[in-house]
Amino acid sequence: MKAVVVENLKYRYPSTERLALDSVSFEVEQGEFIGIIGKNLAGKSTLCEALVGLVPHFYKGAYGGRVVVDGVEVLSSDVSELARHIGIVFQNPFTQVTAAKLTVYEEVAFGLENFGFERSEMVDRIDYVLKLLGLYEYKDRNPFELSGGQMQRLAIASIIAMKPSIIVLDEPTSQLDPLGSEEVFKAVQSLSKEGITIIMVEQKMEKIAQYADKVMLMNEGRVIDFGAPEKVFSRSDLETYGVEPPVFTSIAKRLNIKDNDTGLYPVTLEQMRRLMISEPHRS
Amino acid sequence: MARALSLYVEADTFVQKLDPMVKLLYILIAILIPFVILPFRWVGAVFILLSCVLLLYAKVFPRVLPLLGFSFLILISIVIIQGLFMPGNKTPAVEIFGLTFYKEGLLYALTLCIRVLDVLLAFALLVLTTRPSDLIQSLVKRGLSPRFGYVLSSALQVIPQMMSQVDSIMDAQRSRGLETEGSLWVRLKAFIPLIGPVVMSSLLETRERAMALEVRGFSASGKKTFLYEREPLVLDKILQWALIASLVISLVARFTVL
Amino acid sequence: MNLIEVNSVSFAYTEGVSVLKDVTFSLNEGSVAIIGQNGSGKTTLVKLLKALLKPNTGDILIKGVNTKETTAAKLAKTVGLVFQNPNDQIFKNKVLDEVMFGPLNIGQSVEEARENAIRALETVSLVDKKEENPYDLSLSERKLVSIASILSMSTDIVIFDEPTIAQDWWGKTKIKSIVRNLVDCGKLVITITHDMDFVGECFQRVIVLSKGELLLDGPTREVFSKEDVLRTAYLEPPYVTQLWRAMGYEGVLLSAEEFVKYYESRLPNS
Repeated sequence: MKAVVVENLKYRYPSTERLALDSVSFEVEQGEFIGIIGKNLAGKSTLCEALVGLVPHFYKGAYGGRVVVDGVEVLSSDVSELARHIGIVFQNPFTQVTAAKLTVYEEVAFGLENFGFERSEMVDRIDYVLKLLGLYEYKDRNPFELSGGQMQRLAIASIIAMKPSIIVLDEPTSQLDPLGSEEVFKAVQSLSKEGITIIMVEQKMEKIAQYADKVMLMNEGRVIDFGAPEKVFSRSDLETYGVEPPVFTSIAKRLNIKDNDTGLYPVTLEQMRRLMISEPHRS
Repeated sequence: MARALSLYVEADTFVQKLDPMVKLLYILIAILIPFVILPFRWVGAVFILLSCVLLLYAKVFPRVLPLLGFSFLILISIVIIQGLFMPGNKTPAVEIFGLTFYKEGLLYALTLCIRVLDVLLAFALLVLTTRPSDLIQSLVKRGLSPRFGYVLSSALQVIPQMMSQVDSIMDAQRSRGLETEGSLWVRLKAFIPLIGPVVMSSLLETRERAMALEVRGFSASGKKTFLYEREPLVLDKILQWALIASLVISLVARFTVL
Repeated sequence: MNLIEVNSVSFAYTEGVSVLKDVTFSLNEGSVAIIGQNGSGKTTLVKLLKALLKPNTGDILIKGVNTKETTAAKLAKTVGLVFQNPNDQIFKNKVLDEVMFGPLNIGQSVEEARENAIRALETVSLVDKKEENPYDLSLSERKLVSIASILSMSTDIVIFDEPTIAQDWWGKTKIKSIVRNLVDCGKLVITITHDMDFVGECFQRVIVLSKGELLLDGPTREVFSKEDVLRTAYLEPPYVTQLWRAMGYEGVLLSAEEFVKYYESRLPNS
């Protein structure tokens, strides 16, 4: 069973004229790590919202097409039920704190309480995710006392605790320092290795290239391209879509250094280094 | 950063450990008896005194003072308006700045002030001594929609958050040349235009937060569980019946003695 | 006289929890990036520079004026601060009004303020949204409005707190050109940022804070060459630098252009 199936998805927010999503179709296999890129307002966040059912159940608006997540049809379900299958972490860590709990520990418990988990299992899961995201030492703190980056990690921990089989992250590292970003990417990657499907919107192209199995380029509500990072980042028209490839790819394009077998440019530091050391040529 | 982040004050007294339902019942009684059943000023004053004693015992009284300070404005305006302009004012009582305050109006104002303080302090008792999650838990267990319980408990944390957002916005205004330090008038002038945007931004945040709740299964069907169960106290039942008894006694007093 | 002098400044929000310890440096025209892990004291330092906070010990002099003897509002003509969260800064319900607020406060006439506001909005390409409500704009657009609100005040010193967060490539390009223009006009531009590529491309000098202490202070190239020290502050040099090093070359490169230039110059002529 595919993790995500999207067929001809169209969506318009209420009181707007423009289609936020226009005939979007794609599939995601279980365990894949997908990066979504595109300029601001390209529809990336809207797509995330459509995967978890906020579109259309929360936002209303005009909806067409089909989205099936972990075998469940989004249109005929509701956000809370979908939360058993798919979780989402938003950009703003501050508004993801429920404000109903006084400690980090209880905050993570919130979702588990909603789904009726037994206390012993709750404790196990909370301990695990807090340690995974380096928050265990803060477990008794008030969530609002955390820094922006820590709050972001708390949001991720709270979602991961519910063990959905798919997790969507919408620019989760935008407020984090490099260390914090790295921690988040590593945590997300280890989840991916456990078989959880990851769909992440990101502006840090170098990270996406490093971690993602496939990259989806969006523009004006449409999917422009969907494939391996090397394939998408090697495109010559990225600038028209308001996107810059990883800096290694930019340099490689300028120096015309590419992988002779695939004809594609390198997208990570390691790939670039290997190509440059073995073939210091230019044409 | 230095501002308190929640209204709840941790302390090792029975008030904190008491069943939140008992505290809610107290609020109900504190309204029913002095407002409806035995509407005498001294009855209201008794409840005010009782609330103050409990607040002191629970070590939360210092937190009440800003609340009292804020209500002071309301109280003063009640005194002024009723003292000067209440229809039915006949007997002059005192003259200040050439304005005549009347006895009837002042007495009525006193009644109103006592009522305001009574309700305020009873609510303060609930809010300052109850963990939000304990409150939600008790309500949900008795069948209250968790949604309502959430609104209640999140308000308790969101209000201090809004206050600290006001701080941030005021910092930003100062940075752009608006003098906010100095006399009360200057600070007030700077504060007032902020109310709109702070509320607006809180509403937007509320919306985002509502989404965040939904994706954490807030509306999920099925039984909810709780991470921490509050330990019931013997005192819960005792005080609950004491409060109900006081209600009965006051009803009896009302319909027999009076 | 230096534009900004920070002398042995220490600060703590609550007693015993020191946020800045004995920090000293001076700044003049040019571009400076303040980097460091979350919680290292960067935002506090910037608030001290803006006289929103006063140092517990030590002094900060802005154009010779001690911040302890003045107010943030009085400094507004000299120092402009763009807050990290536009929601903390924006409070008017029309973009144009928001951008005019600062100039009006520092004594410009309504016509002057309006002119400066429009020019600032042109710089961030949001002139066509000037009659709209800021809350109807996207987050990245609101960030640009908050930048315009400070640009319209034409202060000698402009401080940006994390300007590139939530910006896409186009937004970042815009911000980079704003920084360069300000420096060309002789201003002092200070930024707090996590974006090392942004630092490498636009800033001449870097100050590294770690746990409230000043770890490094010097030209960008020099600071980025000290990888070991940076690592203790949980920082890494820009990707371009990392690639250059990974290939075994010495030195510090700060941008893709430099990389291409140096690489091509090293090739044997074919």
